[in-house]
Amino acid sequence: MSDAAFTAFAGWLSESGEGSRPDWLESQRLLARERLADLGVPDRKTEAWRYTSLKGLMEQGFGRTGETMAALQPDDLEEVLVPGLDAQRILLVNGRYLPELSGQGDLPAGVRIGGLRELLASEPDRLREHLNAVAETDAQPLFAALNTAGLDDGLVLWVGRGVVLERPIELVHLSVGLDEPRVAQPRHLVVLEDGAQATLIERYVSLGDSIYCTNTVLELSLGRDALLRHDRIQMESANAFHISGLYLTQGADSRYLGVNIGLGASWSRTDLNCRFQGEHAECDLQGLYVAGDGQLMDYHLDVQHTQPNCNSREIFKGILHGHGRAVFDGRVFVAREAQKTDAAMSNRNLLLSESAEVDTKPQLEINADDVKCSHGTTVGQIEPEMLFYLRSRGIGASLARRMLCLGFAEEIIQRLSAEALRDHVSERVGRRLESAPMN
Amino acid sequence: MTSAPAVDDIVKSEYEHGFTTEIDSDTLPPGLDEDVVRAISKRKGEPEFMTEWRLRAYRHWLTMREPEWAAVNYPKIDFQAISYFSAPKRPEDGPKSLDEVDPALLETYEKLGIPIEEQKALAGIAVDAVFDSVSVATTFRKSLAEAGVIFCSISEAVHEYPDLVKQYLGSVVPHTDNYYACLNAAVFSDGTFVYVPKGVRCPMELSTYFRINARNTGQFERTLIVAEAGSYVSYLEGCTAPQRDENQLHAAVVELIAMEDAEIKYSTVQNWYPGDAEGRGGIYNFVTKRGDCRGARSKISWTQVETGSAITWKYPSCLLRGDDSVGEFYSVAVTKGRQQADTGTKMIHIGKNTRSTIVSKGISAGQGEQTYRGLVRISQRAEGARNHTQCDSLLIGDRCTANTVPYIEVKHPSAKMEHEATTSKISDDQLFYCRSRGLTEEDAVSMIVNGFCKEVFNELPMEFAVEAQKLLSISLEGAVG
Repeated sequence: MSDAAFTAFAGWLSESGEGSRPDWLESQRLLARERLADLGVPDRKTEAWRYTSLKGLMEQGFGRTGETMAALQPDDLEEVLVPGLDAQRILLVNGRYLPELSGQGDLPAGVRIGGLRELLASEPDRLREHLNAVAETDAQPLFAALNTAGLDDGLVLWVGRGVVLERPIELVHLSVGLDEPRVAQPRHLVVLEDGAQATLIERYVSLGDSIYCTNTVLELSLGRDALLRHDRIQMESANAFHISGLYLTQGADSRYLGVNIGLGASWSRTDLNCRFQGEHAECDLQGLYVAGDGQLMDYHLDVQHTQPNCNSREIFKGILHGHGRAVFDGRVFVAREAQKTDAAMSNRNLLLSESAEVDTKPQLEINADDVKCSHGTTVGQIEPEMLFYLRSRGIGASLARRMLCLGFAEEIIQRLSAEALRDHVSERVGRRLESAPMN
Repeated sequence: MTSAPAVDDIVKSEYEHGFTTEIDSDTLPPGLDEDVVRAISKRKGEPEFMTEWRLRAYRHWLTMREPEWAAVNYPKIDFQAISYFSAPKRPEDGPKSLDEVDPALLETYEKLGIPIEEQKALAGIAVDAVFDSVSVATTFRKSLAEAGVIFCSISEAVHEYPDLVKQYLGSVVPHTDNYYACLNAAVFSDGTFVYVPKGVRCPMELSTYFRINARNTGQFERTLIVAEAGSYVSYLEGCTAPQRDENQLHAAVVELIAMEDAEIKYSTVQNWYPGDAEGRGGIYNFVTKRGDCRGARSKISWTQVETGSAITWKYPSCLLRGDDSVGEFYSVAVTKGRQQADTGTKMIHIGKNTRSTIVSKGISAGQGEQTYRGLVRISQRAEGARNHTQCDSLLIGDRCTANTVPYIEVKHPSAKMEHEATTSKISDDQLFYCRSRGLTEEDAVSMIVNGFCKEVFNELPMEFAVEAQKLLSISLEGAVG
């Protein structure tokens, strides 16, 4: 992959100058642009891209996502909504916040929800402290830097000190096909101040099956004793490219419960980064990916135990069928001073076909002695004994297989925060397995 | 916790096996170019095909770059500052029996506790002792010859069995494989050749003691073991090295080939000089070891106890090509002081119903840095492949590091692959339990650590297991406290 190819790929960046932004943000964008030039494009020899080729992505002639289409009607949304889900909805279309189609509701005092662009205009100082601070500009990897270089719009969720937000916030990122393949680069910022609690549901969906690319970055800062439940559901179009970077910092005694579901996109890359900033914090990262024909799903986890007495759990499960491919690269780092760390990582995969492939690399880097760290990985298929058990009870082979796969997936699905969401994901996974040939 | 003063003495004591024997070495001046490669080949009186083979490797080496991916740090090696050949001086014909061997050499072995004669009588081990780069004594060859087993230095093999060498040398680790293997192919000095014919069970454990002696001489050993269909051989490798100031490069290549139903068991106890307390002067151990299970139902088993060297970079691997073939890797690695080890294995499943087992126990103490780096690849053809991996790390002290970097690539749905890794320390409960039964803290730690490593020690031949346990206890004394 040549740098020329990358310049061609990101050519639209130069046109993304419209709108007025505070000076500090302009300089961050510039810094990120310089960083892009320094970083260059990774090839397969770059460890972080060992199993995933950027070729397909770079070869697409992408243009920048423009203004949202005025033609979008509330009815159009019906097919992408989760039936029965009670949540305050924030809608972004092709990377742009759409207040008119977002839900309105009464918010407790101390809570801010809105578009990044909007808040940059009205309350820039509030954002300055956190934007590009959780994910520091000069340490951002390629796609995060790309996002910063074109930083423009996205969601801001701010929960003030001690506020408990009962109703979940649902961020729906909708991609609508345009005449040419486009890149959307939503940038989200979520801040929970000390003692705050909230639930965030982040969903990526599309209308139609057009080719596009979503390159999203979410910066998430949890204060002391804060609690965030965070569901992320990726159901992009079957032809889409999806790149997502989560950057999380956790204060003392805070808790983060994250569930990542990956079902869509032809090529997707998810980077989850967590860093502890205080003691006794807890981070729980769970994930389920189902990849079939023409799909590649690449997950990279980086959990930095830089403080003593923190716990982390990383549990990712995958189902691969058809020509589906998955990559799991998890890293738990324990710094010298992070004594009494308790970290456990597991990655379990079900391989259902001869053409499916999984490459997994769960790493531990331990620099402290009084810690409890473990990781486990399995790759296997459905146990014949289990199948026999079900078949002996009169259940057909293909249904039995599907039941077992769904059972495998349910462990993660049940972690989702709302019942309507669990049903929705279960149903989608079930549908996928139904169409997947089981041999 | 406090450690007994006696233990401190042991820890601070100079490396026990650190002495240099004064003998004239027939050494080439430092530096490497085509002429040096030719000179090595000429001095060893090699036939034309070997000279060409070396030159091809050397030319390829020039196009390669030093690998940087391993989690080890060391000053850049100046390959032109190394002398690539050193042979103990001897008459043209070479020694015919032990009596003809330079007495200073024999003395060295005695200091090391390897009286060749006694050892062969007591332990029934044939010893092909390598002093620096050339084999000086080989025992038990007669009784091996009766069984049809060839056990000799690789230089001899080049002369006496050129067809076998031509056929197998470089067939498992080609010179294009990696930087150090390529360098080895160009300049390898000597090593061991073992050939076990069809259906023969080698009557004794084969063993070579390596010893690095002359100053500034890289040791480039080459080992080739071929086990024909239905044969069995167990090979032991053990090493110590004299103390010196400058870092020494050791880039060995070991190739194992197992045909149908054959089994090779390869055991290593490595205790090279690890450097002083500041990490100065230890051995750089950059080794390529690979076994090829060519035939159906063949088996290759690697067992290693790694306690020495300043830097270890070593991944004994198995290519499981034959259907139903088996690969095993059992490892105990200890890093203390400023030792660094990046070690592990590769299990490449190609044939159907191939099985592999990996048990890796890493013990990191002091400021030791240790990385387990392993690859399990199950190819598209490897129906019914099975792997189980267990990587455990034991940390002693809060300045050490233990990393686990497993790569797992699975392309067949019927494969079953499990990987488990844990990291822990010796718990106060365990210590208390032992101490309440009257054990000293040192003994308790030694006992717990030996228990931690038991799965691996069980795989070692008896004499080695005893030695390994002792080595481990000595290595870790004073590390706890």
